[in-house]
Amino acid sequence: MKHPIRALALACALTLMPACAALHLNAPNPIAAAQTTDQRAYALIQSYGALIETATSVVRDPSVPMAAKRAIGRAEAAATPAVSTLEVAFSAYLRARAAYEAASRADEAALTHALNALNAASQALAQAIDRAQAPLGELQSLINAHRGVAR
Amino acid sequence: MINFLLQLQLLLSALSALLPLLPDALRTRAGEILDIAGKALSLGGMLSASGEDLAQKLAAIRAEIEAMAVARHVVSADELDAAMTRVSAASLAFREALKTAEVAAP
Repeated sequence: MKHPIRALALACALTLMPACAALHLNAPNPIAAAQTTDQRAYALIQSYGALIETATSVVRDPSVPMAAKRAIGRAEAAATPAVSTLEVAFSAYLRARAAYEAASRADEAALTHALNALNAASQALAQAIDRAQAPLGELQSLINAHRGVAR
Repeated sequence: MINFLLQLQLLLSALSALLPLLPDALRTRAGEILDIAGKALSLGGMLSASGEDLAQKLAAIRAEIEAMAVARHVVSADELDAAMTRVSAASLAFREALKTAEVAAP
């Protein structure tokens, strides 16, 4: 090949053209639509499911470079445990909420105890959401970088 | 966008058919350039399609969350289980696909 730089430039331009055209600056953010902590956690888990499904189709494509697939794989390996931790906190929150609802028909001491447990579970859930957002953001950035769609 | 890419790929195919008409000296170079252009278009098209697919899924999730917010819906254990089942299945499929890609990699 006499002009490898020209060929490379042509390949880059043709690869990036559809990606740039697909740029959605206001792509939907489900987490921003949530009003409560449980809705935020649910939106985060569902968004992660959608992200991984897209990542799978990227990884299955033979035209995507292996280095890009490995980078997405590393991001997934970091994000999935964070989402599992979020699920544990979410389950604890749901149990605490059920206990609080049951205690609302009981005496005041039981209600106070259940309310304290619910507050603690709610705080733990909010912290788990915050911790899961960073690895999820990393994964989404990698997918965006390889598919050309901004968040 | 996908239609435009298909048209470009068809144009490249049509140009490839004209390669035998070129002088020998130019034919190899033109073939190489068309080959690179075809591969680049194919990759860009796949990435664009994946992007549109993800945007649609996120829009559907956002619509569900908006409806939950309006109805002041409290997420149930069953809904959490369904969401985690989706994540587990997707994560498993992803890891299998990555393993397959590693095996197929040169």
